[in-house]
Amino acid sequence: MFGPFRLTNPLSGGLLWKIPWRLSRHQKYRQRERLRNVDGIVATLDNALARTGLSMKKVDRWKMEMPTEQEMLPKDKYTVFDRKVKRYRKGIHKVPKWTRVSQRLNPPGF
Amino acid sequence: MSYFRITLMRSGIGMPQKTQGVLKALGLKKRMTTVYHPVTQSVAGQIMRIKELVDVKEVKRALTPAEQKAARRPAPGYYVESRAAQAMKDWE
Repeated sequence: MFGPFRLTNPLSGGLLWKIPWRLSRHQKYRQRERLRNVDGIVATLDNALARTGLSMKKVDRWKMEMPTEQEMLPKDKYTVFDRKVKRYRKGIHKVPKWTRVSQRLNPPGF
Repeated sequence: MSYFRITLMRSGIGMPQKTQGVLKALGLKKRMTTVYHPVTQSVAGQIMRIKELVDVKEVKRALTPAEQKAARRPAPGYYVESRAAQAMKDWE
């Protein structure tokens, strides 16, 4: 029952990684920072293009459709829709490459 | 004419081929490389695809690689007195 070779889940075979089901407050802080960085880049592009009298559909659509970090609900910042999960929500840190992808919107109705 | 100063902050490893192709097209080979591209729609479109990986600023002038290297070099900590007057004249 005790000692170095006790029967625990990680020891009793196979690969067992445990990902906590919610983000820590430091992870949430860094997630907000990343969202703000992306907002800043889109704003930079928009300003630079506007100054030269150009515009771009992709940037305009992003600005129309995507909420900025301030406009987003905490639910959308830290969780994403998943149809296979009970109550359809899982932590954003379960998304592959979650620190390098943008995931801001929900499917209609969720 | 203004330029985008693009610095690759996050690696493109493991991202889709299209994303990695954009990095290659912009000349971003490894993290912390900085490249300058003119402000055009096509460059803006490329940046939109890699916006999570890069840092972008609008600058007036593109620095040459030699100038970038000189900007990174720390101050030598000394100056040659015989050249000081000349240096001060340039500075003013």
